[in-house]
Amino acid sequence: MKPIRTLKISISGVRGVVGDSLSPLLLNRFAQAFGTYSRGGTIVVGRDTRTTGEMVAHAVRAGLLSAGCEVVDVGVVPVPTIQFFVRRTTAAGGIAITASHNPAEWNALKFIGPKGLFLDPAEARELLDIYHQGDYQKVPSSGLRGVRRGSDALDYHVRKILEVLGPLPRSFKVAVDPCDGAASLASPKLLRALGCEVVAIHDTPDGLFPRSPEPLPENLGELRRAVKKSGADVGFAQDADADRLAVLDEGGVPLGEDYTLALAAEFLLPRKRGPFVINLSTSRAAEETARRHGCKVYRTRIGEVNVTEVMEAVGAVLGGEGNGGVIWPRVNFCRDSLTAMACVLHLMAREKMPLSEIYASLPQWRTVKRKLPLPEADPAFLLQALKEKTKEEGIFDETDGLKFETSDWWWHVRPSNTEPLLRLVAEARTEREARALADRIERQIQRLLA
Amino acid sequence: MGPEGNEAMLKISPSGIRGTVGGPLTTELALSFAQAFATYAGGGTILVGRDTRRSGEMYRSAVISGLLGAGARVVDLGVCPTPTLQLAVKKKRAKGGVAITAGHNQEDWNALKFIRPDGIYLDRKQGEELLEVFHQGNFRMAPWNRIRPVEKWDGAADLHRRILEEVFDIEAIRRRGFLVALDCGNGACSNFTPALLEEMGCEVVAFHTKETTPFPRDPHPHPASMSALAAICKALGADVGFAHDADGERLGIVDEKGEPLSEEMTLALAAEARLSRRPGILVTNVSTTRSLEEIARRHGSQVVRVPVGQAFASEAVVRMEAVLGGEGSGGVIVPEVLPSHDSAAAILLLLEFLALEGGSISELASRIPKRFMKKQSLPLPPRRIYSFLRALRRDLERERAGGAADFTDGVLLEERFGWIHFRASNTEPLLRVILEGRSERGLLRLERRAQKILREGGLVL
Repeated sequence: MKPIRTLKISISGVRGVVGDSLSPLLLNRFAQAFGTYSRGGTIVVGRDTRTTGEMVAHAVRAGLLSAGCEVVDVGVVPVPTIQFFVRRTTAAGGIAITASHNPAEWNALKFIGPKGLFLDPAEARELLDIYHQGDYQKVPSSGLRGVRRGSDALDYHVRKILEVLGPLPRSFKVAVDPCDGAASLASPKLLRALGCEVVAIHDTPDGLFPRSPEPLPENLGELRRAVKKSGADVGFAQDADADRLAVLDEGGVPLGEDYTLALAAEFLLPRKRGPFVINLSTSRAAEETARRHGCKVYRTRIGEVNVTEVMEAVGAVLGGEGNGGVIWPRVNFCRDSLTAMACVLHLMAREKMPLSEIYASLPQWRTVKRKLPLPEADPAFLLQALKEKTKEEGIFDETDGLKFETSDWWWHVRPSNTEPLLRLVAEARTEREARALADRIERQIQRLLA
Repeated sequence: MGPEGNEAMLKISPSGIRGTVGGPLTTELALSFAQAFATYAGGGTILVGRDTRRSGEMYRSAVISGLLGAGARVVDLGVCPTPTLQLAVKKKRAKGGVAITAGHNQEDWNALKFIRPDGIYLDRKQGEELLEVFHQGNFRMAPWNRIRPVEKWDGAADLHRRILEEVFDIEAIRRRGFLVALDCGNGACSNFTPALLEEMGCEVVAFHTKETTPFPRDPHPHPASMSALAAICKALGADVGFAHDADGERLGIVDEKGEPLSEEMTLALAAEARLSRRPGILVTNVSTTRSLEEIARRHGSQVVRVPVGQAFASEAVVRMEAVLGGEGSGGVIVPEVLPSHDSAAAILLLLEFLALEGGSISELASRIPKRFMKKQSLPLPPRRIYSFLRALRRDLERERAGGAADFTDGVLLEERFGWIHFRASNTEPLLRVILEGRSERGLLRLERRAQKILREGGLVL
């Protein structure tokens, strides 16, 4: 029996390819299950710009209404804006309709609890149980509530960022590439509110992604040209749901998405020291930046909920992930590219240096990330075999996948939560070393698979 | 006596799906049916409209997602009368339409009705084909780049109004300057009909015109649900009072004296008005008053009877080039407007007649031969309804050798004093028992006879 590779129902939500396995009926049932789980409260629904978003939104609405929920439709907005809105209102939860960095044919539902956090594994398992049991709450006609427009959600979010960070002491010219995604309107809006001059590319919110939605250096050629051509001070690139941010310096050079969190830490941690939480795959650049400012660093399993869970437990002042996700609880308890942008700009204003120089002053690590197709092999078995074959001298970290580190380099392999593949991250002090390390591990995996 | 108050009702049939909200009419079912319909229609443009009931928004979303998922181009007309939607489907050359309305049913019901490209409902065969697509469950699934945004169109009401203006003598209606009382029942005609009649130079006193408010009365317009309208007509001295159902198909009438007329009178008045000026074929169902035959005879016209269900009447109206159609529930078909029920067309037909011929509603009504009718419903599981009807037919075929009994739709008995009709409702799990006598005493005898037949079949009314 072959698993369906175009559908993934997991504790991160439901994700699949529209027209293949992600049917309106499945989405409607999931929404009913979530409405049941949320006991018919008020649910905020927003989406990214995908062409399938409206179809999904209608399926979700019908499901939520039939479970007796009130629906607040915030329209096309960044996912962090949905989370922000849920957290700051009395809503019982939210549904974000987005497959974030997946290609345009994918879509997904991500479920948000009353505090604006994605459901944690225990909560998600409860939701999945309800979904599978299929006994959803239904209200009679007299108990039905309606759909309300929440068109002020983005304004509210932008206002909060300005309020917490204060005005930007000087203006910058900023080139931004929201990938025709959920931030197409939001990013220019925030940047203008901060007093910046905005050069926007890929800001047509039609969901026909002009580049691969992941803000990786190889996808940011056009932004690089836009930065150079316009003489911008900085370039910002987002994914389709605008939780992740990649930063380009004034020369159009991508700093690598791991440095987004390092830059945010460099700005925020001197203002307020405190625990800093990152996942196992995050670069040492972020970790060492935090240590420089005397902050204790915690490492967690991969996945935003795992990071936010530990952040809550230790009272972190900042956290995030190496993929360009910055979580600053003062504004939002989730990865938020808008907040991250504002932090980078504030750092530039404070340091009064070009971004390339600020970057050079940070701890230098080079990270290589690879995706390896995972055929029908048992990932746990594969990792066990890998552990034996690599002949590394020392102790492996098996909290999430398999990680091995020395003082000069480390690598980490784990099965993806969202796609049928293995993710490999290797980091060293130079690009060449990092690549050689990644090659070595990849070769070993290929040999095991063969 | 309707099934209202009973929970958990659902009827899936070739005329669509209908059921109670919060019960078996789930959003899953509505969504899947919409997806099946778009599959059956083979993609293309599909129009969606709904009446004003509270659950409308929920089913609208379910229907839209099902249609979009199957790759249809969806045009949303919002809240609109069903005949308006039907005309728009035809005009826009759409592949079909979905009307989200339970018509005359109470607030806690809803339904999906499926419209084909020529603007009329799917006929029985097409309805059965749609059901097959639904049951097979192998629906069209459009890939991501074939899924289009929903479009809105607010030109449908204008289209409907223009067609009505072409068909009727508007100048004559204007000259007469009617005072009309109008009970829109907070339904889909709440904006449409008042504006239409004002344009026709009527003085309109419209009430229950709040689309966002629950139904103030039984949406089925019959004398008991028209007491407010009757009182207002009397107080105003209106020339006529009209009452709508929730989606603009059925019409109830109050005369200038403030007397509410039986719903059977709506088609009878329309028949008298039309056939007296334009003789021809009148199509109606087997369960509608026999006074129509007398009216038709008087005007050199002919009545054609079809099984109950709008699709049958629509089909016959088109095929036989009838001049009028309709049924005893208050639905009237004016073929030049639309071969389907349209209460706005029925209103204008009557106003035009009064404007051209003079006289009043009560005078027109006095020309209708008097009949005594009783309609009853027995909520029963479908299995029992059908086994009762089958057994009754078998017995009758033996006894009467086919004479004086008609099996067009259920079982219809022609008796000395009138007729008795037993049939399964198309839209609800009900056994309908309809009696019509030529006199009050005749009706009593028919009732006794009907009760005896039911008892023999193990049922009690």
